[in-house]
Amino acid sequence: MKEIMAKALRMNKVFIVLAVAVILASFMLLTGCQKKAVKTEAPPPAVETKPEEIAKPKEPEKITEQKVEAVASKDVVAPHEESKEDMFADILFDYDKYDVKDSYKDEMMKVSAYMTKNSSATLSIEGHCDERGTNEYNLALGDRRAKAVKDYLVSLGVPSARIETISYGEERPVCAEQSEDCWTKNRRAHIVILTKAGK
Amino acid sequence: MLAIHFWLSGAAEAKIYIDITSPSAKKLPIAIYDLQGPYGKEISEIIRDDLTFTGLFVYIDKASYIEDPAQAYNPGNWRPLGIEAVVKGSVGVTKELTVTLNLYDTFEIRPILSKQYQAEKELIRQMAHNIANDIYTALTNAPGIFRTKIAFVAEDDGEKGIYLMDWDGQRVRKLGLKGTLVLSPHWSSDGSKIFYSSERGRQWGLYLLDFLRMSEKRVFVSRGTNMAGDFFPQGDRVMFSSSKDGTPDLFILSLKDSSLKKLTSSYGIEVSPSVSPDGDYITFVSDRGGSPQLYLMRSDGSDTRRVTFEGSYNTSPSWSPKGDRIVFSCRRGKNQICMVKPDGSELVQLTEQGNNEDPSFSPDGRYITFTSDREGKQGVYIMRANGEAQRRISPKGLRSSGPRWSPN
Repeated sequence: MKEIMAKALRMNKVFIVLAVAVILASFMLLTGCQKKAVKTEAPPPAVETKPEEIAKPKEPEKITEQKVEAVASKDVVAPHEESKEDMFADILFDYDKYDVKDSYKDEMMKVSAYMTKNSSATLSIEGHCDERGTNEYNLALGDRRAKAVKDYLVSLGVPSARIETISYGEERPVCAEQSEDCWTKNRRAHIVILTKAGK
Repeated sequence: MLAIHFWLSGAAEAKIYIDITSPSAKKLPIAIYDLQGPYGKEISEIIRDDLTFTGLFVYIDKASYIEDPAQAYNPGNWRPLGIEAVVKGSVGVTKELTVTLNLYDTFEIRPILSKQYQAEKELIRQMAHNIANDIYTALTNAPGIFRTKIAFVAEDDGEKGIYLMDWDGQRVRKLGLKGTLVLSPHWSSDGSKIFYSSERGRQWGLYLLDFLRMSEKRVFVSRGTNMAGDFFPQGDRVMFSSSKDGTPDLFILSLKDSSLKKLTSSYGIEVSPSVSPDGDYITFVSDRGGSPQLYLMRSDGSDTRRVTFEGSYNTSPSWSPKGDRIVFSCRRGKNQICMVKPDGSELVQLTEQGNNEDPSFSPDGRYITFTSDREGKQGVYIMRANGEAQRRISPKGLRSSGPRWSPN
């Protein structure tokens, strides 16, 4: 790195020397090659500006701008049908991980049993992250956490078609402090039961 | 002699006052008069702010100008002060504003830029930026970025929406595009469209806004999380990540026939694809090695190799316009902005305060915009590509993130 900087510096010096040479040379040309004119503080050239060289005012440049108007988003979907939350405990994950820990086996069995009993119910599993990651990666991580819980439930016999997943990344924390305790609570998969409206 | 003269006049044509490719270029001392007439001071201040942000100019304060603004320009008044360029001009007001502007090189009598500009009064900032662009180009032989914009995401009544502001943070405007969650918008290379993802009613859709038609169109929706990536340079295809098949993988979507091409399939996470300016390579984030790291592959999905090895969390990559650097978010305790060559060498860290993410380059590659929470609430920041002159440009009270610099 140092070497490159030094090289660039040298290059720059060469450039300045060249530029000065060019300027001096053109100055000498203008003043009819005066031999003594090699002074750094040379007087302004005694050449009068010829009238025709003063640029005749061209048409002024017209400044324009592409107009930007607000656009209403059309396909904002109606709110989802009624849902039940907090029937099941959140599944918590280790930092930057998305494997469902063995300790959640009982909770998973509970969810599976509920789904067998309520054959019309569907689930939405929301994946969440703590705030420390970057936006897009956190959304992918939340997605992967929701998917891991879904896979677990499918392995217990819940039909895949009855489980939706969605990631909210770091956007919906349950705990807002910047502490390990809070971050632990936020790294979660949250299980929501979607009940069909009118049933 | 004739040959020398020819060479000299050729050199004069392409005279470059500041070599912006040199990292240690000397700053050019410039005098900028308040243009004479109404609005003159306002216009000159915008020009001055634009030029000084580049780090390539030293603005010499008005107090030291000997020449009366009404007097004819005389280089002898400037060279003793060490000033190398002088901006003079005037503003006339009718229904519109007309600026007559002259830029002088203090080694010459004649202006090196002499031009008139006309604009409606409400376009005064755009006009000033236009003038700054011309001055910048006359002195550096490179295009200026002073009329570019930054698209970003901000919170609006509990929902997220896409906003636009000038690169200097002025003229913030809502586009009206909303969702429960909205992610960073990506520009097409001609600046006529943005591509973004939005979660609406538990579904992640991919959307396109056409600035010429001012209309939003959904181009893809499925189960799972869909996140918009870059356009390909021709504008006919876009990258995105989707977990529609189970885990987050990378896809190319054709905007012509809506066909999909899947580029990755792994058990883990593949996300945040960024297309190189020539369209030949894609850099992205994968956790296939145990932690999120930057990878590089050809845009047909072949030849994948890992780019970052330092640190355990490297995400949100974006290419420099020349394709010689990748800027990304690197975890160093907190998230910082880092830059690396595509071969993984010359890694540098550019920020130190707070959490910083979502970096992307200005179209000339000299600046970077990013999100930071260093002042509490997340906001949009800009800095020079070497980490200098970091500053927030989004309004203080507005929670803002995911900035992307417009290509023009």
